Amino acid sequence: MTESSLFTVAFVLYVAALVVYFAGLFARKDRWAGAGLILAVIGFFSQTAALLLRTFSSGHAPFTNMYESLSFLSWAIVLALIVFGRTSHVPRLGPYLMLIVVGLVALASSPLMPKDATPLVPALQSYWLWLHVSVTLLGEAFFAVAFVASLLYLAADTEEKKSRLDALAYRAVAVGFPLFTLGGLIFGMVWAYRAWGRYWAWDPKEVWSLITWFVFALYLHTRIVMGWKGKRSAWIAVAGFLAALFTYFGVNYLLAGLHSYA
Amino acid sequence: MKSVWKFFSSVKLAIVLIILLTLASILGTLIPQGRSPAEYAARYGSLASLMQALRLTRLYQSPWYLALLLLFAANTIVCTISRFGPKWRRAFRTVPETDAKAVSSMRVNARLRMSAPLASARDRVAGALEARHYRLDGSVRGEKAVLLARKRRLGWFGSDIVHLGLLVILAGGFTSGLSGRRAELALSEGQTADVPQAAFQVRLDKFETEYYPSGAVKDWKSTVTVLDGGSAVLTRVVEVNEPLTYRGVSFYQQSYGWDWSAARLSLEIRKPGDAAFSRTVSLKVGDRVAVDDPDVTDVAVRSFVPDFVIGEGNRVQSRSDQPNNPAALVEAWKGEERVFSSWIFAKFPDFGQGHEPGGMAEMRGKTKTEAPKVAVVLKDYSAAPYSVLEAAKDPGANLIWLGCLLVSAGFFLAFYWPPREIRVVLEEAQGRVDLAAGGHAAKGREAFQTEFDAIFESVRRPE
Repeated sequence: MTESSLFTVAFVLYVAALVVYFAGLFARKDRWAGAGLILAVIGFFSQTAALLLRTFSSGHAPFTNMYESLSFLSWAIVLALIVFGRTSHVPRLGPYLMLIVVGLVALASSPLMPKDATPLVPALQSYWLWLHVSVTLLGEAFFAVAFVASLLYLAADTEEKKSRLDALAYRAVAVGFPLFTLGGLIFGMVWAYRAWGRYWAWDPKEVWSLITWFVFALYLHTRIVMGWKGKRSAWIAVAGFLAALFTYFGVNYLLAGLHSYA
Repeated sequence: MKSVWKFFSSVKLAIVLIILLTLASILGTLIPQGRSPAEYAARYGSLASLMQALRLTRLYQSPWYLALLLLFAANTIVCTISRFGPKWRRAFRTVPETDAKAVSSMRVNARLRMSAPLASARDRVAGALEARHYRLDGSVRGEKAVLLARKRRLGWFGSDIVHLGLLVILAGGFTSGLSGRRAELALSEGQTADVPQAAFQVRLDKFETEYYPSGAVKDWKSTVTVLDGGSAVLTRVVEVNEPLTYRGVSFYQQSYGWDWSAARLSLEIRKPGDAAFSRTVSLKVGDRVAVDDPDVTDVAVRSFVPDFVIGEGNRVQSRSDQPNNPAALVEAWKGEERVFSSWIFAKFPDFGQGHEPGGMAEMRGKTKTEAPKVAVVLKDYSAAPYSVLEAAKDPGANLIWLGCLLVSAGFFLAFYWPPREIRVVLEEAQGRVDLAAGGHAAKGREAFQTEFDAIFESVRRPE
């Protein structure tokens, strides 16, 4: 199987998982969620194979343009779903997270995204490409979990659901925030220092990753020191994910800077 | 003084500062930074001068943004110190003052009765706790023994270590800003340059550009020799992502180019009326060379641009340093008479030969309709490549890496090294011992409950 057919298989399975998840939600059949997760996991393996094939054929990390990094981010979100899906006891996490995954994969598949693997420009030829991008996107995937949990919190009706969703959002931030700090900010600074001779240049992408970091720092401090939980916490987590999304996506298209790869 | 301390020890202040820093940072990404006043005037009109007065155009270096950062640093220091003492006591105090009642009111607790003397009951409990890697402190007073068991005590200080790391990073940033130095060195092969503010020199031995089969640039490689005290001390290849560091100065492959002002050109001289005639001459920009022909005695290159474009005021400019549209302003002479004067183009050999109406040709002593006697073709061009190295001395960088290590370690401790504490009170009465135990975990309460239950199950039923 070729990389693109494996990718297509993953896409189809993710859509199938999404349909099964939502069908289960509307039909109030909790056990369908298990089937949805299984479909997502099979799709995850197919996408893993696609990412590996792309890595071997291009000879570089599979996240050097928008198509590749969207694909990797969607893969990372499915990974986060696998990590938290079973233990969180939140039946709605799977369907809504899958909605984001399918959206990202659809965007990656759209004709707007050039899919050719292009040779790396000199600045990207570094093992820090692996460390910086993979860890950052992994962190952002867990922010996506916190985002979905927080939105579900804001819509939840019972206290029991609310406390589960609040705990889930916090656990996701507890994974995502250290990963984002390490991959996005620390590894980013180390690599920038090696490639450009300066660890920080106030480039819009750098500033927006700092803004994202500030928002999650706010989340933790209001929560741990001031005891904000629930609604206000949820809104901050939502804002944090949107800031991360803007850092990842918006900055490239809306603000000019030297970090213009993906 | 006390009120100042109180002001800075407030977490509310931290939250206000984080919000202000966030908003200011967003503003700085919406306004392009560090451009020329003319650009701001064109973009923002009458607002431009106000924006410059408020330093919104160099926002991250502005006094008010730096003041926010310093306030944030002071806030972090005071908050961290004022919360440190209680944590320290909690982690390291040695004499527990507690009784069965207080212990039993802890969230996780157990009570049991052991039919053994106090000393052996205490040993049994201690053994079970030590098997789970708890460190023990305790006291025995008469019929009452108290055990304080703790593990992962560093976990209490995760956030403090993150805060310390952030302060070190801020200190590194200020150090870089105040005492960091950087300079660009443009070197052609064989050239030696003094490194600014350093007592040594660098020489560029070789500069190569590698290409992919598609023609895209794969890499730039500068072979650089460091000369210290007049002798070569080391030779290394500097490429993107592979800097060279010597005596605290790092050299980065930053850019490259060609010395087009001294380009060497190969020109072919033709006569439109004589198809068999062809002469090729090689000359540098600014040279005038003789051609052995009665119709063309001399040819000269007045100017060369790698990427020809007509700019403002109809002036010829180079759009870039890349040879995208190489063009030369060439003159040919027949004795004292100039028979050719025009821009000619390597990629468009027919253009500029003097017969395009309104073209770039400026023919002297002829009408435009008359066929030219001489044509010149730009066959080849070459220029010495040069490499641009950035020499940077950044004494703040090591503080940054230290700060990053502290932040990483602190995050690990704060999120994944939750401290646990178990207090046990043993009271002997009538040959039996009543045990009361209580426990506390900062995080992971379910896992702690499991561990706690297992410990006291093994105390209850020793093997």
